Amino acid sequence: MARKRKFGMEHNKAKWGFIFVLPSLVFFAIFSFYPIFNAFYLSLHKKNLLSLRPPQFIGFDNYEYLFHSSDFWNSVLATTIFALGTFIPLLVISLLLAALIMTRRRFQKFFQMAFYSPAVLSSVVAAVIWLLVFDPRGLGNQFLNTLFNSPGVDHKWLATDSMLRFSTMLVYFWKYIGYFTIIFIAGMSSIPSQLHEAAYIDGANRWQGFWRVTFPLLKPTVLLVSVMSMIQCLKTFSTQYLFTQAGTPSKPINVITMNIYNTAIRDHRIGRASAMSVLLFVVMLFFTALQIKSSKSDDVSFM
Amino acid sequence: MRKNKIKHSVLGNIGDFIIWLFLLGTAALILVPLLFMFTSSIMPAKEIFKMPYPWITSDFQWENYWNAIKGPDGDFMYLRNILNSFIVASVVTITTVLLSALTGYGLAKFPFKGRTFVFLLIMSTMMIPFEAIMIPMYMVVVNMGLQDTYAGLILPFLTNAFGIFMMRQYLITFPDEILDASRIDGASELKIFWRVVLPNSGPVIATLAILTFRAQWDNLLWPLLIAQSDNMKTIPLYITRFTAETHTDEGAMMAIAAIASIPMFILFFSVSKYFVSGASLTTGSKG
Repeated sequence: MARKRKFGMEHNKAKWGFIFVLPSLVFFAIFSFYPIFNAFYLSLHKKNLLSLRPPQFIGFDNYEYLFHSSDFWNSVLATTIFALGTFIPLLVISLLLAALIMTRRRFQKFFQMAFYSPAVLSSVVAAVIWLLVFDPRGLGNQFLNTLFNSPGVDHKWLATDSMLRFSTMLVYFWKYIGYFTIIFIAGMSSIPSQLHEAAYIDGANRWQGFWRVTFPLLKPTVLLVSVMSMIQCLKTFSTQYLFTQAGTPSKPINVITMNIYNTAIRDHRIGRASAMSVLLFVVMLFFTALQIKSSKSDDVSFM
Repeated sequence: MRKNKIKHSVLGNIGDFIIWLFLLGTAALILVPLLFMFTSSIMPAKEIFKMPYPWITSDFQWENYWNAIKGPDGDFMYLRNILNSFIVASVVTITTVLLSALTGYGLAKFPFKGRTFVFLLIMSTMMIPFEAIMIPMYMVVVNMGLQDTYAGLILPFLTNAFGIFMMRQYLITFPDEILDASRIDGASELKIFWRVVLPNSGPVIATLAILTFRAQWDNLLWPLLIAQSDNMKTIPLYITRFTAETHTDEGAMMAIAAIASIPMFILFFSVSKYFVSGASLTTGSKG
């Protein structure tokens, strides 16, 4: 009798567990799994956004087109330059800032809040602020000209290819530097202080304390943050979109996400946009797999 | 020996001073653009580009804020768009929290056949970046006839894998005794979820809610696809439109940016702890 009742309860639990999970599963089926399969499907078809004609199978033509399209390779280049040029400085400087903040006994909170505050803004707002800073008459030129004592020079922040690229990187860097600093601080705080004390008793100085104790233990966080920021940079869109809407040249900053958007919505070429989406997905999957692999093999235990 | 120690501490002091200087300098550089936004939002356009930049204006232009709200067409679309942002972000946040908690609870506390598979299936969606599936997703919404509607803006974001993961990790350690005690008292499973589980998950819920609300407030790409008429646009779209159409009225542009940021800053200063936990959680749990 008791056993039967227990079985009934287990059965009941399984039922409720399934009921609780079901709504999310339906949701993921419609808005994650179906679209990703559909992306693969559409990438092998010719489909116009506005026409009611069903997609027409064309094999790998969309991919072949992309591999010969200078516009596509330009986007690959723009995205790669942006991602590398943004995530490396982000990584190095946020690590440095976190390490320096951790040496302070006071004002730790203040610095964290100050560095983090740009992350509170929406990315469009961040881009609008910097749009004015980069104006020929704006703060950007004033700052550099005061620094280099070169009055009246226009550094063409939004005009030349390389400066325009650099400007978008700067916006992104500014917005996310505090976010990654906080992640590193969280990682550093989880390292038990006894380890540092032991090192100092053994005669290590602060510099050695950082390189010999903190840094090796922080390696998983470093790896994670690099992959995470890399993936984020590959998806960049808002700054580039707002800048081009405000009239800057689009070619140097026509990143892949913007190209997908324009190909689908402006040019109505759903198949081609899907092929680009699939390629983006594959690249990101590679980095995500890297992240999972690195976080598994490099687990640090403090015991 | 003693001399050495003094020398060391002097050196230490210099190093200390340099670190302070560096941190303060960096903080200043990071805060300058924010200060620029707020100060220039009350300036006449010609002062914004004056050299050197006059940090405090002598000629307060509160009209900038009026122009920002009134908009280039004088139809006060800004208010409508900010309301849209609030509606979308709030609905998405509430449903995401509820659905993630419900699913996370189911996965944490209810053994059923295939539970691990379901969990891994849900986690695998984290590997699918939104940017890669936005076009097929857009087609789904269009086929449902939901383009240019609130439902279209909201539906794809009703729950997310990361939220489910967060809730599950938190609820796994939730004491079974409390749940069983409620069951013996005759409470239904839904009632237990509502009355026992949710009220005891405050900090995770707050962290998830803030992550979600911010992501929605910031969302540009999806509304760009879905919201066709001005009536359905959200704040990021309004800002983009205003910048594209009237980028000569710099003061009003900054006023728009300032107004759009104020709700986030209020949230940040009142519950900054959950912003920080949200940031550090992304590593803590995945690592």
